[in-house]
Amino acid sequence: MKNLVRELRMEHGLSQGELATELDVSRQTINSIEQERYTPSLPLALGLAHFFGKTVEEVFDANGSR
Amino acid sequence: MRTAAGRRHSKWVVPLFSLALGFLFLGIQWSNGDPGSGLVSFAIMVGFGAVILFGGRSETIRGLRGDGRDERFRQIDVNATAFAGLVVITAILVGFFVELARGNDGNPYGLLGAVAGLAYIAAIVWQRVRS
Repeated sequence: MKNLVRELRMEHGLSQGELATELDVSRQTINSIEQERYTPSLPLALGLAHFFGKTVEEVFDANGSR
Repeated sequence: MRTAAGRRHSKWVVPLFSLALGFLFLGIQWSNGDPGSGLVSFAIMVGFGAVILFGGRSETIRGLRGDGRDERFRQIDVNATAFAGLVVITAILVGFFVELARGNDGNPYGLLGAVAGLAYIAAIVWQRVRS
Protein backbone atom coordinates (compact mmCIF):
# COMPACT_ATOMS: atom_id res chain seq x y z
CA MET A 1 0.00 0.00 0.00
CA LYS A 2 1.29 3.43 -0.93
CA ASN A 3 2.39 5.38 2.11
CA LEU A 4 4.49 8.27 3.39
CA VAL A 5 6.22 6.35 6.17
CA ARG A 6 9.69 6.75 4.68
CA GLU A 7 9.24 10.48 4.09
CA LEU A 8 7.82 11.06 7.58
CA ARG A 9 10.56 8.98 9.18
CA MET A 10 13.23 11.00 7.37
CA GLU A 11 11.54 14.26 8.42
CA HIS A 12 11.79 13.11 12.04
CA GLY A 13 15.41 12.09 11.58
CA LEU A 14 14.80 8.50 12.57
CA SER A 15 16.40 5.32 11.32
CA GLN A 16 14.23 2.32 10.49
CA GLY A 17 15.51 0.62 13.63
CA GLU A 18 14.63 3.58 15.84
CA LEU A 19 11.10 3.79 14.43
CA ALA A 20 10.74 0.04 14.80
CA THR A 21 11.73 0.27 18.47
CA GLU A 22 9.18 3.04 19.04
CA LEU A 23 6.41 0.89 17.56
CA ASP A 24 7.64 -2.42 18.98
CA VAL A 25 8.06 -4.12 15.63
CA SER A 26 11.13 -5.34 13.75
CA ARG A 27 13.27 -3.11 11.54
CA GLN A 28 12.43 -5.43 8.66
CA THR A 29 8.72 -4.75 9.15
CA ILE A 30 9.27 -0.99 8.85
CA ASN A 31 11.36 -1.61 5.73
CA SER A 32 8.64 -3.83 4.24
CA ILE A 33 5.99 -1.16 4.87
CA GLU A 34 8.16 1.51 3.26
CA GLN A 35 8.82 -0.74 0.27
CA GLU A 36 5.04 -1.39 0.03
CA ARG A 37 5.59 -5.13 0.35
CA TYR A 38 3.63 -5.37 3.59
CA THR A 39 0.33 -3.73 4.53
CA PRO A 40 0.26 -3.14 8.29
CA SER A 41 -2.64 -4.09 10.51
CA LEU A 42 -5.05 -1.36 11.59
CA PRO A 43 -3.44 -1.10 15.07
CA LEU A 44 0.02 -0.67 13.57
CA ALA A 45 -1.23 1.78 10.94
CA LEU A 46 -2.91 3.80 13.69
CA GLY A 47 0.26 3.62 15.76
CA LEU A 48 2.35 4.92 12.86
CA ALA A 49 -0.10 7.72 12.14
CA HIS A 50 -0.34 8.76 15.78
CA PHE A 51 3.44 8.65 16.15
CA PHE A 52 3.84 11.14 13.30
CA GLY A 53 0.86 13.24 14.42
CA LYS A 54 -1.11 12.41 11.29
CA THR A 55 -4.31 10.59 10.45
CA VAL A 56 -4.18 7.14 8.87
CA GLU A 57 -5.55 8.61 5.65
CA GLU A 58 -2.71 11.11 5.55
CA VAL A 59 -0.09 8.36 5.88
CA PHE A 60 -1.63 5.55 3.83
CA ASP A 61 -3.42 5.54 0.51
CA ALA A 62 -5.34 2.37 -0.28
CA ASN A 63 -6.01 3.55 -3.84
CA GLY A 64 -2.32 3.84 -4.58
CA SER A 65 -2.58 7.35 -5.99
CA ARG A 66 -0.13 8.78 -3.46
CA MET B 1 -7.42 -3.81 20.13
CA ARG B 2 -4.39 -6.02 19.84
CA THR B 3 -1.09 -4.17 19.71
CA ALA B 4 1.27 -4.41 16.79
CA ALA B 5 3.70 -6.49 18.80
CA GLY B 6 1.12 -8.89 20.16
CA ARG B 7 2.09 -12.13 21.85
CA ARG B 8 5.74 -13.11 22.11
CA HIS B 9 7.31 -15.83 24.13
CA SER B 10 10.64 -16.46 25.77
CA LYS B 11 13.58 -17.37 23.55
CA TRP B 12 14.01 -20.47 25.69
CA VAL B 13 10.69 -22.12 24.79
CA VAL B 14 11.67 -23.59 21.40
CA PRO B 15 15.19 -24.72 22.46
CA LEU B 16 13.82 -26.37 25.60
CA PHE B 17 11.05 -28.03 23.58
CA SER B 18 13.70 -29.33 21.17
CA LEU B 19 15.71 -30.65 24.10
CA ALA B 20 12.61 -32.37 25.52
CA LEU B 21 11.89 -33.97 22.14
CA GLY B 22 15.52 -35.08 21.95
CA PHE B 23 15.24 -36.82 25.32
CA LEU B 24 11.95 -38.41 24.17
CA PHE B 25 13.56 -39.75 20.98
CA LEU B 26 16.53 -41.00 22.97
CA GLY B 27 14.34 -42.74 25.54
CA ILE B 28 12.05 -44.41 23.02
CA GLN B 29 14.82 -45.59 20.69
CA TRP B 30 17.00 -46.70 23.59
CA SER B 31 14.14 -48.70 25.07
CA ASN B 32 13.65 -50.32 21.66
CA GLY B 33 17.27 -51.50 21.79
CA ASP B 34 18.68 -48.91 19.40
CA PRO B 35 20.66 -46.45 21.57
CA GLY B 36 22.86 -45.41 18.62
CA SER B 37 19.92 -44.04 16.65
CA GLY B 38 18.60 -42.50 19.85
CA LEU B 39 21.83 -40.61 20.40
CA VAL B 40 21.84 -39.41 16.79
CA SER B 41 18.25 -38.16 17.17
CA PHE B 42 19.15 -36.50 20.46
CA ALA B 43 22.18 -34.79 18.91
CA ILE B 44 20.08 -33.50 15.99
CA MET B 45 17.47 -32.02 18.32
CA VAL B 46 20.10 -30.47 20.61
CA GLY B 47 21.84 -29.03 17.55
CA PHE B 48 18.60 -27.53 16.27
CA GLY B 49 17.86 -26.06 19.69
CA ALA B 50 21.36 -24.59 19.91
CA VAL B 51 21.06 -22.96 16.47
CA ILE B 52 17.75 -21.43 17.48
CA LEU B 53 19.04 -20.26 20.87
CA PHE B 54 22.39 -18.87 19.71
CA GLY B 55 21.32 -17.93 16.21
CA GLY B 56 22.17 -14.28 16.67
CA ARG B 57 20.18 -11.39 15.30
CA SER B 58 18.80 -13.01 12.15
CA GLU B 59 15.11 -12.13 11.78
CA THR B 60 14.34 -15.68 10.66
CA ILE B 61 16.00 -17.20 13.72
CA ARG B 62 14.41 -14.67 16.09
CA GLY B 63 11.02 -15.32 14.51
CA LEU B 64 11.39 -19.09 14.78
CA ARG B 65 12.58 -18.65 18.36
CA GLY B 66 9.53 -16.53 19.18
CA ASP B 67 11.11 -13.51 20.83
CA GLY B 68 11.39 -11.56 17.58
CA ARG B 69 7.84 -11.96 16.37
CA ASP B 70 5.75 -9.02 15.40
CA GLU B 71 2.53 -8.94 13.37
CA ARG B 72 4.36 -9.32 10.04
CA PHE B 73 6.26 -12.37 11.19
CA ARG B 74 3.06 -13.88 12.62
CA GLN B 75 1.50 -13.52 9.16
CA ILE B 76 4.59 -15.17 7.67
CA ASP B 77 4.21 -17.95 10.24
CA VAL B 78 0.53 -18.51 9.35
CA ASN B 79 1.34 -18.65 5.64
CA ALA B 80 4.27 -21.01 6.21
CA THR B 81 2.13 -23.25 8.43
CA ALA B 82 -0.61 -23.37 5.78
CA PHE B 83 1.96 -24.26 3.12
CA ALA B 84 3.48 -26.99 5.28
CA GLY B 85 -0.01 -28.35 5.99
CA LEU B 86 -0.80 -28.41 2.28
CA VAL B 87 2.40 -30.34 1.57
CA VAL B 88 1.66 -32.86 4.33
CA ILE B 89 -1.95 -33.36 3.19
CA THR B 90 -0.78 -33.84 -0.40
CA ALA B 91 1.72 -36.45 0.79
CA ILE B 92 -1.01 -38.18 2.80
CA LEU B 93 -3.33 -38.29 -0.21
CA VAL B 94 -0.57 -39.69 -2.42
CA GLY B 95 0.26 -42.30 0.21
CA PHE B 96 -3.43 -43.18 0.57
CA PHE B 97 -3.91 -43.78 -3.15
CA VAL B 98 -0.65 -45.72 -3.43
CA GLU B 99 -1.78 -47.98 -0.60
CA LEU B 100 -5.17 -48.48 -2.28
CA ALA B 101 -3.45 -49.30 -5.57
CA ARG B 102 -1.38 -51.93 -3.78
CA GLY B 103 -4.59 -53.59 -2.65
CA ASN B 104 -4.36 -52.42 0.96
CA ASP B 105 -6.98 -50.52 2.95
CA GLY B 106 -5.16 -47.19 2.65
CA ASN B 107 -4.24 -46.91 6.31
CA PRO B 108 -2.67 -45.20 8.13
CA TYR B 109 -2.95 -42.56 5.40
CA GLY B 110 -6.74 -42.72 5.35
CA LEU B 111 -6.91 -42.14 9.08
CA LEU B 112 -4.42 -39.26 8.90
CA GLY B 113 -6.39 -37.73 6.04
CA ALA B 114 -9.60 -37.99 8.05
CA VAL B 115 -7.93 -36.30 11.04
CA ALA B 116 -6.64 -33.53 8.78
CA GLY B 117 -10.04 -33.01 7.18
CA LEU B 118 -11.88 -32.94 10.49
CA ALA B 119 -9.31 -30.60 12.01
CA TYR B 120 -9.70 -28.25 9.03
CA ILE B 121 -13.50 -28.20 9.30
CA ALA B 122 -13.34 -27.70 13.07
CA ALA B 123 -10.90 -24.82 12.63
CA ILE B 124 -13.15 -23.20 10.00
CA VAL B 125 -16.16 -23.41 12.34
CA TRP B 126 -14.14 -22.15 15.32
CA GLN B 127 -12.68 -19.23 13.40
CA ARG B 128 -16.08 -18.30 11.95
CA VAL B 129 -17.69 -18.28 15.41
CA ARG B 130 -14.86 -16.19 16.86
CA SER B 131 -14.79 -13.56 14.11
